[in-house]
Amino acid sequence: MNADEVRESLAFSEYARKRARDDLGRPWVALVLLASLSVVSLSLTDAATSPTALFWVFAGPLGAGAIALYSYRRNRSSGIDSSPLAYVAITVGLLILSYAAGKIGFAFQIPGVARFGPAFIAAAGYFVLAWIERSWMVGAISFALLAVTVAIIGFDLSSQQSKALLFGLYGITLLAVGFSWRVGRKEIL
Amino acid sequence: MTHPSSVLDDTIHQRVRLGILAVLSESRRADFGYLKEILEVTAGNLSQHLAVLEEAGHIQITKGIEEKRTRTWITATRKGRAALALEVATMRALLGGIPSTQRP
Repeated sequence: MNADEVRESLAFSEYARKRARDDLGRPWVALVLLASLSVVSLSLTDAATSPTALFWVFAGPLGAGAIALYSYRRNRSSGIDSSPLAYVAITVGLLILSYAAGKIGFAFQIPGVARFGPAFIAAAGYFVLAWIERSWMVGAISFALLAVTVAIIGFDLSSQQSKALLFGLYGITLLAVGFSWRVGRKEIL
Repeated sequence: MTHPSSVLDDTIHQRVRLGILAVLSESRRADFGYLKEILEVTAGNLSQHLAVLEEAGHIQITKGIEEKRTRTWITATRKGRAALALEVATMRALLGGIPSTQRP
Protein backbone atom coordinates (compact mmCIF):
# COMPACT_ATOMS: atom_id res chain seq x y z
CA MET A 1 0.00 0.00 0.00
CA ASN A 2 1.39 3.40 -0.92
CA ALA A 3 0.55 6.98 -0.03
CA ASP A 4 -1.60 7.49 -3.11
CA GLU A 5 -3.78 4.52 -2.21
CA VAL A 6 -4.26 5.80 1.32
CA ARG A 7 -5.04 9.29 0.03
CA GLU A 8 -7.50 7.91 -2.51
CA SER A 9 -9.26 5.77 0.14
CA LEU A 10 -9.57 8.76 2.46
CA ALA A 11 -10.90 10.97 -0.32
CA PHE A 12 -13.48 8.36 -1.31
CA SER A 13 -14.62 7.93 2.28
CA GLU A 14 -14.99 11.73 2.61
CA TYR A 15 -16.94 11.87 -0.66
CA ALA A 16 -19.34 9.14 0.52
CA ARG A 17 -19.75 10.84 3.89
CA LYS A 18 -20.47 14.21 2.26
CA ARG A 19 -23.01 12.73 -0.17
CA ALA A 20 -24.84 11.11 2.74
CA ARG A 21 -24.81 14.40 4.68
CA ASP A 22 -26.13 16.30 1.66
CA ASP A 23 -28.91 13.78 1.11
CA LEU A 24 -29.90 14.02 4.76
CA GLY A 25 -29.61 17.78 4.84
CA ARG A 26 -32.61 19.21 3.02
CA PRO A 27 -34.49 20.74 5.92
CA TRP A 28 -36.44 23.37 3.95
CA VAL A 29 -39.90 22.02 4.84
CA ALA A 30 -39.10 22.03 8.54
CA LEU A 31 -37.64 25.53 8.33
CA VAL A 32 -40.52 27.01 6.37
CA LEU A 33 -42.97 25.43 8.79
CA LEU A 34 -41.20 26.65 11.92
CA ALA A 35 -40.66 30.13 10.46
CA SER A 36 -44.34 30.38 9.43
CA LEU A 37 -45.53 29.23 12.85
CA SER A 38 -43.23 31.75 14.53
CA VAL A 39 -44.51 34.60 12.34
CA VAL A 40 -48.11 33.71 13.22
CA SER A 41 -47.11 33.50 16.88
CA LEU A 42 -45.47 36.95 16.79
CA SER A 43 -48.51 38.51 15.14
CA LEU A 44 -50.62 37.22 18.05
CA THR A 45 -48.60 39.08 20.68
CA ASP A 46 -50.51 42.34 20.10
CA ALA A 47 -53.82 40.80 21.10
CA ALA A 48 -55.23 42.11 24.40
CA THR A 49 -55.33 38.64 25.94
CA SER A 50 -52.31 37.21 24.23
CA PRO A 51 -53.00 33.64 23.16
CA THR A 52 -49.39 33.02 22.08
CA ALA A 53 -48.70 30.36 24.68
CA LEU A 54 -51.94 28.55 23.86
CA PHE A 55 -51.08 28.81 20.17
CA TRP A 56 -47.76 27.03 20.78
CA VAL A 57 -49.39 24.30 22.84
CA PHE A 58 -51.24 23.25 19.68
CA ALA A 59 -48.86 24.51 17.01
CA GLY A 60 -45.78 22.92 18.64
CA PRO A 61 -46.96 19.30 18.49
CA LEU A 62 -48.71 19.83 15.15
CA GLY A 63 -45.60 21.39 13.66
CA ALA A 64 -43.36 18.67 15.05
CA GLY A 65 -45.77 16.01 13.79
CA ALA A 66 -45.74 17.53 10.30
CA ILE A 67 -41.92 17.66 10.33
CA ALA A 68 -41.72 14.04 11.51
CA LEU A 69 -44.18 12.93 8.79
CA TYR A 70 -42.17 14.80 6.16
CA SER A 71 -38.96 13.22 7.47
CA TYR A 72 -40.48 9.73 7.46
CA ARG A 73 -41.71 10.08 3.86
CA ARG A 74 -38.42 11.59 2.71
CA ASN A 75 -36.40 8.81 4.32
CA ARG A 76 -38.52 6.13 2.71
CA SER A 77 -38.16 7.64 -0.73
CA SER A 78 -34.47 8.60 -0.52
CA GLY A 79 -33.18 5.36 0.99
CA ILE A 80 -31.17 7.01 3.78
CA ASP A 81 -32.51 7.48 7.23
CA SER A 82 -31.62 9.80 10.07
CA SER A 83 -32.47 9.11 13.68
CA PRO A 84 -36.12 9.77 14.64
CA LEU A 85 -34.95 10.53 18.18
CA ALA A 86 -33.89 13.99 17.09
CA TYR A 87 -37.40 14.74 15.84
CA VAL A 88 -38.79 13.53 19.13
CA ALA A 89 -36.36 15.96 20.80
CA ILE A 90 -37.80 18.80 18.71
CA THR A 91 -41.33 17.93 19.81
CA VAL A 92 -40.38 17.68 23.48
CA GLY A 93 -38.25 20.83 23.27
CA LEU A 94 -41.03 22.84 21.66
CA LEU A 95 -43.54 21.67 24.25
CA ILE A 96 -41.32 22.35 27.24
CA LEU A 97 -40.23 25.76 25.96
CA SER A 98 -43.70 26.85 24.92
CA TYR A 99 -44.98 25.78 28.33
CA ALA A 100 -42.16 27.67 30.03
CA ALA A 101 -42.76 30.81 27.94
CA GLY A 102 -46.46 30.69 28.74
CA LYS A 103 -45.92 29.98 32.41
CA ILE A 104 -43.22 32.58 33.03
CA GLY A 105 -44.47 35.22 30.63
CA PHE A 106 -48.17 35.19 31.29
CA ALA A 107 -48.67 33.81 34.81
CA PHE A 108 -45.89 36.00 36.22
CA GLN A 109 -46.63 38.86 33.82
CA ILE A 110 -43.16 39.32 32.38
CA PRO A 111 -43.89 40.95 29.02
CA GLY A 112 -40.35 40.42 27.63
CA VAL A 113 -40.53 36.65 28.07
CA ALA A 114 -44.13 36.51 26.90
CA ARG A 115 -43.25 38.46 23.77
CA PHE A 116 -39.98 36.73 22.91
CA GLY A 117 -40.67 33.25 24.24
CA PRO A 118 -41.79 32.06 20.80
CA ALA A 119 -38.60 33.38 19.21
CA PHE A 120 -36.54 31.34 21.68
CA ILE A 121 -38.74 28.32 20.99
CA ALA A 122 -38.19 28.66 17.27
CA ALA A 123 -34.44 29.19 17.80
CA ALA A 124 -34.26 26.01 19.91
CA GLY A 125 -36.18 24.13 17.20
CA TYR A 126 -33.77 25.41 14.55
CA PHE A 127 -30.80 24.45 16.69
CA VAL A 128 -31.97 20.84 17.05
CA LEU A 129 -32.72 20.73 13.33
CA ALA A 130 -29.26 22.07 12.55
CA TRP A 131 -27.79 19.26 14.58
CA ILE A 132 -29.81 16.47 12.95
CA GLU A 133 -29.61 17.80 9.44
CA ARG A 134 -25.94 18.79 9.87
CA SER A 135 -26.74 22.10 8.26
CA TRP A 136 -24.56 25.15 8.91
CA MET A 137 -27.27 27.33 7.38
CA VAL A 138 -29.86 26.23 9.93
CA GLY A 139 -27.33 26.59 12.74
CA ALA A 140 -26.56 30.15 11.62
CA ILE A 141 -30.27 30.99 11.55
CA SER A 142 -30.68 29.58 15.05
CA PHE A 143 -27.86 31.72 16.43
CA ALA A 144 -29.03 34.82 14.50
CA LEU A 145 -32.50 34.42 15.96
CA LEU A 146 -31.08 34.13 19.47
CA ALA A 147 -28.75 37.08 18.93
CA VAL A 148 -31.56 39.31 17.61
CA THR A 149 -33.78 38.38 20.54
CA VAL A 150 -31.04 39.09 23.06
CA ALA A 151 -30.29 42.41 21.31
CA ILE A 152 -33.95 43.41 21.43
CA ILE A 153 -34.12 42.76 25.15
CA GLY A 154 -30.68 44.31 25.76
CA PHE A 155 -31.44 47.54 23.86
CA ASP A 156 -35.01 47.59 25.12
CA LEU A 157 -36.44 48.13 21.64
CA SER A 158 -40.10 48.97 21.20
CA SER A 159 -42.62 46.32 20.24
CA GLN A 160 -42.79 47.57 16.66
CA GLN A 161 -39.01 47.81 16.24
CA SER A 162 -38.43 44.35 17.65
CA LYS A 163 -41.17 42.86 15.50
CA ALA A 164 -39.67 44.49 12.42
CA LEU A 165 -36.30 42.95 13.27
CA LEU A 166 -37.72 39.47 13.87
CA PHE A 167 -39.92 39.57 10.78
CA GLY A 168 -36.86 40.69 8.81
CA LEU A 169 -34.91 37.72 10.13
CA TYR A 170 -37.73 35.32 9.25
CA GLY A 171 -37.83 36.89 5.78
CA ILE A 172 -34.10 36.24 5.36
CA THR A 173 -34.64 32.68 6.65
CA LEU A 174 -37.29 31.97 4.07
CA LEU A 175 -35.16 33.51 1.31
CA ALA A 176 -32.15 31.42 2.35
CA VAL A 177 -34.28 28.28 2.43
CA GLY A 178 -35.78 29.08 -0.97
CA PHE A 179 -32.31 29.68 -2.38
CA SER A 180 -30.89 26.44 -0.99
CA TRP A 181 -33.92 24.52 -2.22
CA ARG A 182 -33.47 25.97 -5.71
CA VAL A 183 -29.79 25.02 -5.67
CA GLY A 184 -30.73 21.53 -4.43
CA ARG A 185 -33.30 21.12 -7.23
CA LYS A 186 -30.77 22.22 -9.83
CA GLU A 187 -28.30 19.64 -8.50
CA ILE A 188 -30.96 16.94 -8.71
CA LEU A 189 -32.06 17.97 -12.20
CA MET B 1 8.01 -1.27 17.08
CA THR B 2 5.14 -1.81 14.62
CA HIS B 3 4.61 0.25 11.50
CA PRO B 4 1.37 2.35 11.61
CA SER B 5 0.09 0.63 8.45
CA SER B 6 -0.11 -2.66 10.37
CA VAL B 7 -2.97 -1.13 12.39
CA LEU B 8 -5.07 -0.77 9.21
CA ASP B 9 -8.01 -3.15 9.17
CA ASP B 10 -8.01 -5.17 5.95
CA THR B 11 -11.75 -5.85 6.31
CA ILE B 12 -12.71 -2.21 5.96
CA HIS B 13 -9.69 -0.75 4.22
CA GLN B 14 -11.04 -1.79 0.83
CA ARG B 15 -12.40 1.29 -0.98
CA VAL B 16 -16.07 0.25 -1.32
CA ARG B 17 -16.29 -1.16 2.21
CA LEU B 18 -14.81 2.07 3.55
CA GLY B 19 -17.44 4.00 1.57
CA ILE B 20 -20.25 1.81 2.93
CA LEU B 21 -19.19 2.47 6.52
CA ALA B 22 -18.68 6.19 5.81
CA VAL B 23 -22.27 6.52 4.55
CA LEU B 24 -23.67 4.48 7.43
CA SER B 25 -21.71 6.47 10.01
CA GLU B 26 -23.60 9.59 8.91
CA SER B 27 -27.03 8.02 9.12
CA ARG B 28 -29.13 5.64 11.15
CA ARG B 29 -29.47 3.27 8.19
CA ALA B 30 -29.34 3.22 4.40
CA ASP B 31 -30.97 0.90 1.90
CA PHE B 32 -29.28 -1.34 -0.64
CA GLY B 33 -30.35 0.76 -3.63
CA TYR B 34 -29.01 3.96 -2.10
CA LEU B 35 -25.60 2.41 -1.38
CA LYS B 36 -25.45 0.91 -4.85
CA GLU B 37 -26.11 4.30 -6.45
CA ILE B 38 -23.84 6.39 -4.23
CA LEU B 39 -20.89 3.98 -4.40
CA GLU B 40 -21.40 3.27 -8.11
CA VAL B 41 -21.09 -0.51 -7.84
CA THR B 42 -23.08 -3.42 -9.23
CA ALA B 43 -25.62 -5.23 -7.06
CA GLY B 44 -23.49 -8.38 -6.99
CA ASN B 45 -20.36 -6.49 -6.03
CA LEU B 46 -22.15 -4.61 -3.27
CA SER B 47 -23.67 -7.84 -1.92
CA GLN B 48 -20.21 -9.37 -1.63
CA HIS B 49 -18.81 -6.38 0.26
CA LEU B 50 -21.84 -6.28 2.57
CA ALA B 51 -21.41 -9.98 3.34
CA VAL B 52 -17.77 -9.39 4.35
CA LEU B 53 -18.72 -6.49 6.63
CA GLU B 54 -21.63 -8.40 8.14
CA GLU B 55 -19.46 -11.41 8.88
CA ALA B 56 -16.95 -9.16 10.64
CA GLY B 57 -19.75 -7.68 12.74
CA HIS B 58 -19.38 -4.17 11.32
CA ILE B 59 -22.91 -3.93 9.92
CA GLN B 60 -26.37 -5.41 10.37
CA ILE B 61 -28.63 -6.24 7.44
CA THR B 62 -32.41 -6.22 7.81
CA LYS B 63 -34.77 -7.32 5.07
CA GLY B 64 -38.43 -6.39 5.02
CA ILE B 65 -41.41 -5.92 2.74
CA GLU B 66 -42.40 -2.33 1.97
CA GLU B 67 -45.16 -1.53 -0.50
CA LYS B 68 -45.18 -5.11 -1.79
CA ARG B 69 -41.46 -5.21 -2.56
CA THR B 70 -38.43 -6.39 -0.65
CA ARG B 71 -36.31 -3.68 0.87
CA THR B 72 -32.92 -4.22 2.46
CA TRP B 73 -31.77 -1.77 5.13
CA ILE B 74 -28.17 -1.71 6.35
CA THR B 75 -27.05 -0.31 9.71
CA ALA B 76 -23.53 0.19 11.08
CA THR B 77 -22.92 -1.53 14.38
CA ARG B 78 -21.05 0.16 17.23
CA LYS B 79 -18.06 -1.99 16.33
CA GLY B 80 -18.28 -0.85 12.71
CA ARG B 81 -18.43 2.84 13.63
CA ALA B 82 -15.44 2.47 15.97
CA ALA B 83 -13.48 0.55 13.32
CA LEU B 84 -14.15 3.27 10.75
CA ALA B 85 -13.04 6.03 13.13
CA LEU B 86 -9.83 4.13 13.89
CA GLU B 87 -9.19 3.42 10.22
CA VAL B 88 -9.62 7.06 9.19
CA ALA B 89 -7.44 8.26 12.08
CA THR B 90 -4.74 5.75 11.14
CA MET B 91 -4.80 6.77 7.49
CA ARG B 92 -4.52 10.43 8.45
CA ALA B 93 -1.63 9.62 10.76
CA LEU B 94 0.08 7.72 7.95
CA LEU B 95 -0.34 10.64 5.57
CA GLY B 96 0.86 13.03 8.27
CA GLY B 97 4.15 11.14 8.41
CA ILE B 98 4.72 11.46 4.69
CA PRO B 99 6.93 14.40 3.63
CA SER B 100 4.91 17.16 1.96
CA THR B 101 6.94 16.85 -1.26
CA GLN B 102 5.21 13.53 -1.90
CA ARG B 103 1.74 15.10 -1.67
CA PRO B 104 -0.01 16.39 -4.77
